[in-house]
Amino acid sequence: MLDLLTTLDAWLIAPLTDYAFMRRALVGGLALSLAAPPLGVFLMLRGMSLVGDAMAHAVLPGVALGFVLAGFSLPAMSLGGLIAGLLVAGLAGSVSRMTGHREDSAMASFYLISLALGVMLVSLRGSSVDLTHVLFGSILAIDDTALWLIASVASATLLVMALIFRVLVVECLDPLFLRGQGIRGGLVHGVFLGLMVLNLTAGFQTLGTLMAVGLMMLPATTARFWSQRLEGLIGLAILIAMVSSTGGLLVSYHLGLPSGPCIILVAGIAYLASALCGRHGSLLERVRRRATPLETDENTCTPS
Amino acid sequence: MSRLSLETLTLAQGGRTVLENISGTFEDGAITALVGANGAGKSTLIQAIMGLLPPLSGKVNCGVPKERRAWLPQQLALDLTFPMSVEELMLSGCWPTHGTFKRYGPQDYRRMHTIMQRLGLSGLAHRPLGELSGGQRQRALLGRTLMQEAELLLLDEPFANVDTHTVEILCDTLREMASAGATVIVVLHDMEQLAQLADCVLLLAGGHGQWVEPETLLERHHAPARRHAHTQAPFISLNLPDVPPCSTY
Repeated sequence: MLDLLTTLDAWLIAPLTDYAFMRRALVGGLALSLAAPPLGVFLMLRGMSLVGDAMAHAVLPGVALGFVLAGFSLPAMSLGGLIAGLLVAGLAGSVSRMTGHREDSAMASFYLISLALGVMLVSLRGSSVDLTHVLFGSILAIDDTALWLIASVASATLLVMALIFRVLVVECLDPLFLRGQGIRGGLVHGVFLGLMVLNLTAGFQTLGTLMAVGLMMLPATTARFWSQRLEGLIGLAILIAMVSSTGGLLVSYHLGLPSGPCIILVAGIAYLASALCGRHGSLLERVRRRATPLETDENTCTPS
Repeated sequence: MSRLSLETLTLAQGGRTVLENISGTFEDGAITALVGANGAGKSTLIQAIMGLLPPLSGKVNCGVPKERRAWLPQQLALDLTFPMSVEELMLSGCWPTHGTFKRYGPQDYRRMHTIMQRLGLSGLAHRPLGELSGGQRQRALLGRTLMQEAELLLLDEPFANVDTHTVEILCDTLREMASAGATVIVVLHDMEQLAQLADCVLLLAGGHGQWVEPETLLERHHAPARRHAHTQAPFISLNLPDVPPCSTY
């Protein structure tokens, strides 16, 4: 029994008590896990799951420009990323409204231009090592400044989400109702995209620009297999993100692997497991429902 | 006295003039049917009345405040996969009084339950919209406009894909709302429903509008029962100036 406790301590607790950088990474990861998944839930429900990915690419030139101008300075890189992300979101929205083309095609075009510019900028100034760092993040880079930034972004995101929650819900279901009430849906959409960019830039230190979107989307898509209510989806997504962040960090520490991919892979395993045996729409649930067609959902789905 | 009138209204959609020089008055407390072939400009006119489409020339005089104008869109316009319950949908009708922040109180819930009972939706408060039948969904959407205490109600083909029970409830509720003084405008295709429901008809064809009495239209149309306007070629070629004008014009 004592052996077991010692092993558990060595695996789960010691890395956090022994190393300050692990504690900082954990706090950063948990803060991101509070803010990003609710955004992911709304992105998923609006059929914009890939927009997060596009925006993660779009912030790159801003991050790169910050890096070129100020070296490896977190505030400069984050600000650059934020500006680039908002610019791409704004341009895509404007082109879509002016031409009547779908927003996703405009967004795809702008993020590709943005990505190419970003890679060009990084290669002009730095080496491929720098590019890897920007793309995939590094746990060691989380200092107090980074932690403050992440915590502020997470707090601001939760606050703004609480403020615009009702508008966002009504806009997702019936945008014309809101327009009829004199509320500009475009404004709500803009604020929402702004929050997303903010979270992606906050996440790029721990996870990297490309991985940050994983902590946003995977918990949301996983939660879809367990809940059909909005509150349930958001709560579960946050929980899954927190467990993935903690688990991923520990795995990365013990196996000497990069933290970003570890966190996202743990979330990915949760997704695959849920797709197999989740409560709603999973493979297992489908098989069971086929076998007993007359029973209700509650009876057919018994998650282990 | 009328809160809604059109003054030589010309509307364009995507650079193409859809409706030209439409004038007339929608009487308070009356149900006006908006009739015309597909593409005749019914939805365009609704958008203009809702204040969502600026006119090319002329104007819409509307004395009903924006938050008391309700538009029941065709069901296809809604994202029904969104995890929202009937209760949440109906409570969103409290928008004019509650906006983004105000908490829903016990009196709002009481009002909602009364409306749900009236619409035959009791017991479905927590059912997700995606699990409702087409008819139940349409009743829930009408429930939202009742919560909104709409004074101007625009409905785009509300009877499409719904059961007869729902049609009855919808017709009764619309009649009640009109009796209470609301201005109701309904896009209709079914001549039988038009005969049952409409006090007046605004006929849209060839970019022009003509106000007619429902009886005149039905006679012109030689409509026995359940004939659909959009499948009837003679309807489109109806000679507008021959139709005697409606008394409200």
